[in-house]
Amino acid sequence: MANAAAHDQDDHPRPGFFTRWFMSTNHKDIGILYLFTAAVVGFISVSMTVYMRMELMNPGVQYMCQEGARLTAAAVGECTPNGHLWNVMITYHGILMMFFVVIPALFGGFGNYFMPLMIGAPDMAFPRLNNLSYWLYVCGTALGVASLLAPGGNGQLGSGVGWVLYPPLATLEGGYSMDLAIFAVHVSGASSILGAINMITTFLNMRAPGMTLHKTPLFAWSIFVTAFLILLSLPVLAGAITMLLTDRNFGTTFFDPAGGGDPVLYQHLLWFFGHPEVYMIIVPGFGIISHVIATFSKKAIFGYLPMVYAMVSIGVLGFVVWAHHMYTVGLSTTQQSYFMLATMVIAVPTGIKVFSWIATMWGGSIEFKTPMLWATGFLFLFTVGGVTGVVLSQAPLDRGYHDTYYVVAHFHYVMSLGAVFCIFAGIYYWIGKMSGRQYPEWAGKLHFWTMFIGANVTFFPQHFLGRNGMPRRYLDYPEQFALWNYVSSIGAFISFASFIFFIGIIVYTLRWGKKIEEKAYWGEHAETLEWTLSNPPPEHTFEQLPTPDMWDKGKH
Amino acid sequence: MPTGSLNIKRAASSAALSSYAPVTRTDPPLWETSLRPNRSLGTTGFRYIMIIAAIGLLLPSIPFLLAGAGVFWLGFAGLALTLLWLAITLNNHHGRLREHIGLWPDLIAVERHEPNGKIKRWQCNPYWMRSHLHKSGGPVKNYLTLTGNDRCIELGAFLSPQERVALYLEIETAIKSLGQSRR
Repeated sequence: MANAAAHDQDDHPRPGFFTRWFMSTNHKDIGILYLFTAAVVGFISVSMTVYMRMELMNPGVQYMCQEGARLTAAAVGECTPNGHLWNVMITYHGILMMFFVVIPALFGGFGNYFMPLMIGAPDMAFPRLNNLSYWLYVCGTALGVASLLAPGGNGQLGSGVGWVLYPPLATLEGGYSMDLAIFAVHVSGASSILGAINMITTFLNMRAPGMTLHKTPLFAWSIFVTAFLILLSLPVLAGAITMLLTDRNFGTTFFDPAGGGDPVLYQHLLWFFGHPEVYMIIVPGFGIISHVIATFSKKAIFGYLPMVYAMVSIGVLGFVVWAHHMYTVGLSTTQQSYFMLATMVIAVPTGIKVFSWIATMWGGSIEFKTPMLWATGFLFLFTVGGVTGVVLSQAPLDRGYHDTYYVVAHFHYVMSLGAVFCIFAGIYYWIGKMSGRQYPEWAGKLHFWTMFIGANVTFFPQHFLGRNGMPRRYLDYPEQFALWNYVSSIGAFISFASFIFFIGIIVYTLRWGKKIEEKAYWGEHAETLEWTLSNPPPEHTFEQLPTPDMWDKGKH
Repeated sequence: MPTGSLNIKRAASSAALSSYAPVTRTDPPLWETSLRPNRSLGTTGFRYIMIIAAIGLLLPSIPFLLAGAGVFWLGFAGLALTLLWLAITLNNHHGRLREHIGLWPDLIAVERHEPNGKIKRWQCNPYWMRSHLHKSGGPVKNYLTLTGNDRCIELGAFLSPQERVALYLEIETAIKSLGQSRR
C-alpha cells in the first residue's frame, strides 16, 4: 500500500545545486538549462556574425588574414586573404544556429517548460529521458565547438564546407574536423529524437481529463507538430550524414560519381530534412506568438481550429517542397514546376495564421507591453520574409537569385528575425513566471527598438545587394557593393549592442528584478494553465490534475 | 443486515507494514469503487499515431534504397519508430495503476494494483477507520488518507483535487449509511 506522506512534506529537503542542475529530472529545470545553454551557444554564434560583418564592412580583406585573424583593420598590403577562416565562420554560424541555438531554445527550452504546464501534465512522460536529451545536446554542442578547433581543411583549423555539408566538398575536406562536425549533428539529432518522442508521448497521453485535442493550447500544439517533424525528418538526416561519414572514412561512394554515386542525392536527403527543419524552428514560435497576441489584445485567439490545422498542414507541406532549395542542380522542368507550386501552397496555411493573428488584434484593446512589441515585430518581419519567400519559390526567378544575398536576406528575415523575435517574445512574456521577477519595462522596450532597427538595417539592404548580384559565401566583393555592405554592417553592430544590452537585462532581472506575486500578471486574458501557478511554479506541478474550469473559462 | 463473517487471514502482526490476504468473502460489498490515473490517448489514437509515423518514415526510404544505403534508413527510421512505440507503451503501462476500494459492514478493503503487477492491500474495520482530507500540506492538494489498523494510507493521489473531494464525500456517505443500517 502506498503509505501516506502528508506528514513528511514540510521537511522535504530542497535539492542541492549539483543535484538540481546536473541530475535534474524536472521539466522546468531542464527547460531553463536548455534556454541558458542555447544563450551561451547563441552568443558564440552571434560573435561570429559580428566578425563577419566587420570583414564585409569595406571591400578588400582587413581582418581575416593568412597572417592570423586580427581584431583591428590591417593596412593595405599587410593582409593576405584567408578564405578558409571565412568559410569556417559561415559554416559554424550556420551549424550552431540551426542545430544548437534556435531549436534548443524554442523546442527544448520553452517546450519543456510550458508544454506540460499547459496540458496539465505532472511532468514529462519520461523525466530521466528528458535529462538524457539535454545532456546529449550539450555533448553535441561540445563536439561542434571541438570540430571548430580541430584540424580541418587547407591545413587550418575547422571545416569550411557550409552548414549543409554538401559533398564533394565535405568528403574532400581534410583533417578530422569534418568528422567531428558529423558526430555533432548525429548526437544533437539523437537528443532531438529522444526529446521529440518524450514530447509526443506527453502531449498525447498525459493531457488533463477533458482536455481534448481540440482544446489544447496552441503552444502545446506547436510543440507537438514540431516534435513530429523531428521524429520523421531526423532519421533521414542521420542516414545522409552517416553515408557522408562512410564516404569519407570507409571508401564508399554514395555521393561520388567516380564510384557510381551521385552528389545531388545528398542534397535531396539533406533538404528532405532541411526544409522541415526550418519549420521546426519557426512553428514553436507561432505558438508563442499566438498566446502573446491573444493576451495583449485582451481577446481569445481568432480561429483556434484553423490555427491548429494551419500548423499541421505547414508541417505536412514541409515534407513535399524540399527541392525548391535545389532548382539549379538540374531538375527537370516538370519537377521544378511541381516544387514551385507546392511551395506556393504553403503561403495558404501561413496566410491563415498571419490573418488570424491580425484578426485577433482587430477590435481588441491592444496594450504594447514588451512581449507584444516583439510579437508585432515578428508579424511584420515574418511577413516580409514570407513575401521574399514567394519570390524565391519561382524557379525562373530563382535562377537569378540563387546563392545571392537576396536568399541570405530572405532566410534571415524568417529565421533570424522571425524565430529570434519569437524567442525574445517568449522570454519577456514568461520570465516573470519562470524566475518570479519581472524585467524593467523600459529596458525591454529599448531592447526591442534597437534590435528591430538594427536587424532591419542589417538585412534589408541585403535584398539590394542580392538584386545587384552579390553572391553569398564570399570573403570579399567588388567596390560596387560597398555602400549597402557598409550599412548592413552598421546594422549588425546595432543588433549586437542590443544583444549585449539584453544580457544585461536578464542579469538585472534575475538578481534585482521586481518580485512578482500575481499569478496571471498579464491579466485575465492569459488563460493557459501556467497562469494558475505561482511564480515560479512549485517544483512538482499538477500532481493534482487540473480541471476543465481552470483552462476552459472562455468557453462557458 | 448481512452479518458476513471475517473470512480474512491477517499476515504478520507487524502492523505498520503488514500485508493482507485478498478478500475472499462472497457477499457483495455495500459500496465499491475503482480508481486509475488519467491517460488521454486511446487504443485507436495510438494506432493512428503509429500508422502516421510509419508512413512518414517509409516515404524517404526510396532514395536510400535506390542508393543501396537502405540499411542506414532502416537503422535510423526503425529506431525512431521503435522508440516511439516503446515510449507510448511504457507510458500506458505506467498508467495501469489501479486502486480498488470495497466496503462491507465490518470491513473496508483497499487493493492497489501497481503497474509491475505487485498488489498492495490494506484492510480495516470501518468502525475504527478515519478518513481525512488534507486541504493543504499534503504532497497534492486535497490529499486523501485513510487511517486504521495502525496505518495511514493515501488514496487516489493521481486524481484531480475535485475528484478526491468527491471520493472523500462518497466514502463518508457510505460509512454513515453503514452506521444507520447497523442501528
